[in-house]
Amino acid sequence: MALPTAPPTSSADRLAEQLQRIISKRIDDDSLVLPMLPLVATKSLELLKNPNFSMKDVAAVIEKDPMITVQLLRFTNSAALGTRDPIKKVQDAVARLGANQLRTFLIEAATRRLFESKDTRILATNKRIWEHSLVVASVAADIAALANSAEAEAAYLGGLLHDVGKPVVASMLLEAERSIRLSRPDAVWIGPADFLTVVQKIHRPLGIKLAQKWEVPEPVLRAIRDCDDYDSAERSSAANAVRLANAIVKEQGIYEGEVNKDDVEAMVMIGQSVLGVDISACRQLVGSVRTAVKAYL
Amino acid sequence: MARILTVDDSRSVRMIVTRELRALGHDLDEAEDGEKGLEKLEELSFDLVILDVTMPVLDGPGMLARMREAGNKTPVLMLTSESKRSIIANLMKLGIDDYILKPFNAEDLKAKVAKVLRQDVGAPVPVLGPASDAGRPAGAASVGSAGAGAAGAGGPTEGGVGGGPNRAFVDILVIDDMENVQKRLRQMIPEHLSVAGALNAQTAIAACRDRGVRAILLDNDMPDVNSVALMRQVRVLQPKAVVLALYVRTSTNVLEAAKGNGFDGVLMKPFDVGAVEDFLLQYFNSQDLVSKDDNVLKVAKFKGRENRLDSYFLEVVSNVSRYSEEIAAACYGEMVLDVSAVPPNAEKVARMMLEINSRISKMGIEIRLVGSPEIAKTLKQYTETAQMPLFGSVDEALRAA
Repeated sequence: MALPTAPPTSSADRLAEQLQRIISKRIDDDSLVLPMLPLVATKSLELLKNPNFSMKDVAAVIEKDPMITVQLLRFTNSAALGTRDPIKKVQDAVARLGANQLRTFLIEAATRRLFESKDTRILATNKRIWEHSLVVASVAADIAALANSAEAEAAYLGGLLHDVGKPVVASMLLEAERSIRLSRPDAVWIGPADFLTVVQKIHRPLGIKLAQKWEVPEPVLRAIRDCDDYDSAERSSAANAVRLANAIVKEQGIYEGEVNKDDVEAMVMIGQSVLGVDISACRQLVGSVRTAVKAYL
Repeated sequence: MARILTVDDSRSVRMIVTRELRALGHDLDEAEDGEKGLEKLEELSFDLVILDVTMPVLDGPGMLARMREAGNKTPVLMLTSESKRSIIANLMKLGIDDYILKPFNAEDLKAKVAKVLRQDVGAPVPVLGPASDAGRPAGAASVGSAGAGAAGAGGPTEGGVGGGPNRAFVDILVIDDMENVQKRLRQMIPEHLSVAGALNAQTAIAACRDRGVRAILLDNDMPDVNSVALMRQVRVLQPKAVVLALYVRTSTNVLEAAKGNGFDGVLMKPFDVGAVEDFLLQYFNSQDLVSKDDNVLKVAKFKGRENRLDSYFLEVVSNVSRYSEEIAAACYGEMVLDVSAVPPNAEKVARMMLEINSRISKMGIEIRLVGSPEIAKTLKQYTETAQMPLFGSVDEALRAA
């Protein structure tokens, strides 16, 4: 009698397994090369650690990066902040935001850069992942606020970063493809669907590692790390708000990749009870958030 | 009323469920594990089973599976401390109708039971329920979905002009299903204050999410939505805004009730000029009477009772003086003051102009007025103001520099 054979493994599964092994090893021996925070963000975040930080000093650092300066002024004058008189100076923008919101803004600006790519194949995918992340971030912040949580800011950042490993994996795959084709020009590489499968399978540990490297606060890190189940001990935590927001946003079809409908329905049903919010209102929020995000992209 | 079976190995949970649901008039029966629960189901027919997950002898998923195998389609509400996605997803496949995580509050239980038993038809529903039972107003329990009823009535409608260059900011948001309410208010509010309207909960939430709002007027009798729950929600989205309840005049003792529910005050419908004025005085800073764009100041129209006219002119003088300091600091040699909207009260206008002129001339700023022929006629009546330069438009005044 023949031994039972293992089910056939797809090329995506094999590649994912190989990459997972390589990444795990690099994480273990601390040799994984991850994207750095832009220097301006690093310096500004360092200054913001001081509770008596000088707004003038922070503004001077930010002004060195024209891109971040433009984004900061645009954000400070955006609808979300309800500014009555337009803010024209970086120092005024810093004063308007305060340390917490400025920290969120800087990490958001840095994260946004990770989703940019010169490769047209992954640019569109990255854009959709970024859109999903922005919508999850906004909805998570609203859910946290509606659940009377004090962690709305952390929920926003958690939502923003919960898939941050994906563009990093995508870049690694591109790099791997280039190396292989250099040595074997006729080598067969995975197609777009398998590409996404690999990204989905291995993005989590990379995202966590990146967030640790960027020194994001612990509640944000928890939101990225524990995505599969709710924490029933801390019902109103930022992590729970991100989980529910992620499920609702997936349910509404704002997601790049395959969605397990049963899992999503379960996450929505559990989250509603865990956080004590009415799901129909949360679903309504997604529409307006998406419109705002599309204008922002 | 419904016949309900609660299956839980915890006696205290069964007792709480029984007590709370009996208080609503339901018939309750209990079982301490899945086997005993199945026995009860063979003896009697139930409208709802409230089921725990982890139990001795036969657990919740086991009992549910055997119920469905036997063709029993009684609705099942899971009441459990289990929150693992994989377990709940499997239970959903077996056919559960809803889920409550332990520890739970009585209001959530009652709301979910009502929902599963479909007792929500026609009942007023909130948009969101608070996470805890604390402070939940009577009747604010979640008993259904506000989705379909509230959706599709269009976005927030603009009800006026003004409000500064940034339209993302709204001074007053009127949440009322009657469109005429915001229109009437618009007619009574000075033009420099912006008014937006939302006809249902959905658009109200969207407006509160997308814009900064200073004051929210919320109809106390919104269809399909519990106004108190909606108020709590808009407060979360707009923590700095003042929220007033709108009541019809036939209501009595409403102020105390509204404040008890968490509103900051009330405004009666149809609106009374005096009450609207009081609202503006209380919640809007008088500096909004004058708007500034570089060295151009525009005075807003007076709206209110005659006896407030004196204070209007005093506030205009005070605001123009304050802005003139900023204009001087920015090194402008001239200031354009648009008084087109000022009421044509000859003596008061002339006194106001004299006072302003006296204050700003000390700063070395030259004044250029913009106003109607009527204002020109008024100024010419007095020796002190007859020579003040007056132009027909702001552009003309700026070109004369």
